[in-house]
Amino acid sequence: MQSGGEMRVRQSAIRIFAQEYSESSLIERGVGEFAPLFVITKLGAKINRCLVCGGLESLERRDGDSGAFYRGRVRDPSGTHFFDIAPFQPELHPAAEELLARFETGDSVLVSIVGRAKHTESEEGGIFTSIRAEIFTEVDQETYRSWMVETADSTLRRLDAYSRTEGLDLNGAELSEADVPDDLIDGLIKAREHYSDFDMESYKLWVLKALSNVTGKMEGEMEVFTSVKEDASISKNEIKIEATDAREVILGLLSSNSGEMVDYDSLVGACISAGSTREESEDAIEDLRDVSMKILEPRFGYFSIVEK
Amino acid sequence: MSELRMYDSQIAIVMQECPDANEEEIGKEFERYERDFLIPPEDALRSVIKKFQTDSGSDEASSGQPRVQPEEKKVDRFSELEADDRNVTIEVAVISHTPRTQMVRGEERQISFGWIEDNPWNSSSDRVRWDYKDWGDKSSSLVPGSVVRLEGVSVNEWNDKRSLNINRTTRVTVLKEGGVTAAPVGDEPISISRASEIEGFVNIVGRVLTSKADVITRKDGSGEIPIFRGRIADSTGSIGFLSWKDFEYESGSLIKIVGASIRRFRDTPEININDGTVIERYRDSAFPTSEELSKSDKVTIADLRNGMRDVTITLQVESWAQRTFETKDGETKVVRSGDVMDPSGRCRLTAWCDFDPEPGDAIRIAGGRVQFWQGSPDLVIDDIEQASNLSDSPWEKIDPDNHWVEVDLTSITNGGSRRGILTEGTVVFINSGSGIIERCPECRRVLREGSCAEHGQQNGIEDLRLRFVIDNGVSNANLFLGKEASEKFLGSNMDEVREKISVRGSDDFLSQLRSRVLAKKILVNGRCAVDGQGAMIFADRVELIDPEPNKEAEEVMEKWGLSL
Repeated sequence: MQSGGEMRVRQSAIRIFAQEYSESSLIERGVGEFAPLFVITKLGAKINRCLVCGGLESLERRDGDSGAFYRGRVRDPSGTHFFDIAPFQPELHPAAEELLARFETGDSVLVSIVGRAKHTESEEGGIFTSIRAEIFTEVDQETYRSWMVETADSTLRRLDAYSRTEGLDLNGAELSEADVPDDLIDGLIKAREHYSDFDMESYKLWVLKALSNVTGKMEGEMEVFTSVKEDASISKNEIKIEATDAREVILGLLSSNSGEMVDYDSLVGACISAGSTREESEDAIEDLRDVSMKILEPRFGYFSIVEK
Repeated sequence: MSELRMYDSQIAIVMQECPDANEEEIGKEFERYERDFLIPPEDALRSVIKKFQTDSGSDEASSGQPRVQPEEKKVDRFSELEADDRNVTIEVAVISHTPRTQMVRGEERQISFGWIEDNPWNSSSDRVRWDYKDWGDKSSSLVPGSVVRLEGVSVNEWNDKRSLNINRTTRVTVLKEGGVTAAPVGDEPISISRASEIEGFVNIVGRVLTSKADVITRKDGSGEIPIFRGRIADSTGSIGFLSWKDFEYESGSLIKIVGASIRRFRDTPEININDGTVIERYRDSAFPTSEELSKSDKVTIADLRNGMRDVTITLQVESWAQRTFETKDGETKVVRSGDVMDPSGRCRLTAWCDFDPEPGDAIRIAGGRVQFWQGSPDLVIDDIEQASNLSDSPWEKIDPDNHWVEVDLTSITNGGSRRGILTEGTVVFINSGSGIIERCPECRRVLREGSCAEHGQQNGIEDLRLRFVIDNGVSNANLFLGKEASEKFLGSNMDEVREKISVRGSDDFLSQLRSRVLAKKILVNGRCAVDGQGAMIFADRVELIDPEPNKEAEEVMEKWGLSL
């Protein structure tokens, strides 16, 4: 086990819901040409490779400078994963065409994708995470449901590890002592240094939702909601304070887009990557549109700034 | 339509936004999300609206796709940069670096600033100095006096003055080290199990289990070096040591070792004690006694690692044979060997002495050593003193025909090579070399375009194999299915597979394989080999596990104490 050899060890595929992945804004790049790149989530998952699954919401072929590529979205219970199939992986293109044909029939298509973490940085410093597919296939619903359970399990495991780090000195020995699993220690230290505190209950909520979608026990859902509501009220004050930030991000994004409209998901995405929660971002959009009337929604879901 | 009533309120919202859409189709779309994607209507709203907007001709040109990173611009001098350049690559000399803590969005962030100069490899009279701001907390790489390559920086212009922004995503590569930053070694001791995982200098506290003087013979024949070898333990485990200086501590002594280095002999870590190492007696009345420690020092087959010495282990013999061979010097020698098992797995045992156990016997080995043979551990004894027959087996007799030990994938990748394992994982990759291949008749290597890397152009021998990667979210392993296991898994023999591939092509074969196994969980029986590159599992048998999401969900909720 020479340390040189460790570099080439394959990275495992982290099971992750779209919400956790899309809220990530911490990128780690190792030193050296072949060092892997990681997206580190709020819960400390270090993602170089991931296994995601969901309903195929869009897929299209595009032509770029370096050849044809494919871009699409898959929807899971928590949100949407963006993925692409790169021009430099032509071996995947026949399968992509096959999937595209399936998608265009209008049938519901569930897909599993194993892919590498990718990110782009906006001018404002917002990070957009996406996935470059390595291999993918259409799956049946049982496989999708089984993936949801496994992903709920791995998210709960991260939540558990995260809560163990509370109040600890952020070093490996201390975390190891607190029974934080080895594979999460490094990511958790970096995540806690980078991200501000967030509402763990909201994470738990959509994990539970995913589990209830699997088992079909929808009626139990309300109970979960109410039990969480009480805890959530604590963080209300923080939301108020931080909401100004989300507004600034939105105004900045719209004014830098030379009058072009920007869609809802991009605005929310930008706010989230700038540190707001989804809820805060959505509140900020409504506030700017309905209260301060600084932005317009000329078409549903598309926004522009009010010209002075 | 009546079944779609339940979506009425959501349909109304969609109709508001997309007046041209058809109510029934909207309802079907909600139903589709709920039934096929398991996403309830309130969560699917935005997705559905998006779909009908797109369908009714609204383009998605300005939609939420991440913006493309501007193309990289490589420059040598600051003067080549424009005010709005981003994703710039440049090599610079770091002149100063001043850390400053700043509140950003209510969060304390470390944002440093300083001076950098371009043209770092030439004399400073021919350099240009700029300000920079470090938003990415790169303090550890931006040491004054060093030369670094910055990749992904952007130009900032304010009041006609330009500076560089080093972002979170900027890659900083140190090309020439700056000031001396020797990492100080703390003197906090760490546990032996932790020390066994790392390399470099460590401090430990432990009890000496064994210690004896030994010599190392110089290869050039110039003499011998006196050394001490032994074992030291704490409650987390034990580790061998090698001392290049006098080691005066007898068995049972509790000592603290400061500044010893961990080296690896094959796969086995060992503590090296040399002139710079400080050893002192240590007092801790609560520290486990030698007896307690040596009891826990017994290993199982699962613990065996290449290069281990002083192995104490209890085994059940499965088979035993002896053979005679002639050495190069014409001397006749006898070697005995066989398969042995314990509840953790199975391995081979080789005896260079007159040891003749019967299959089924329970035996005890003390002071054995481990060497690897074809990727699997081989336990070796050199002296009959090291082996003894036990009258009673410490465990219920193991049935060799049905001895598979369940090991999860993470234990496999963290453990040693072993046989007789049963594990599961999700298939996350299918190697395109799966299917019919040709092997070199000389060395069994796979031929590439009819040619062997070692033996050149060859008439290959056909073979069938499958190669997957299995993964449990934390660990992964390469999985190899040879001809027999592949035939069983595919449910067709090699001739049928060849026929299928010759008619429909290998892409079609791989595509079918992908839709059958990718993202599916499988159960694997076989043996594994683990080295620095990761784990390889050679399968005897592989089968798909049918998903049982309801049951799995219940298990997960119970595990984390949740209820719906």
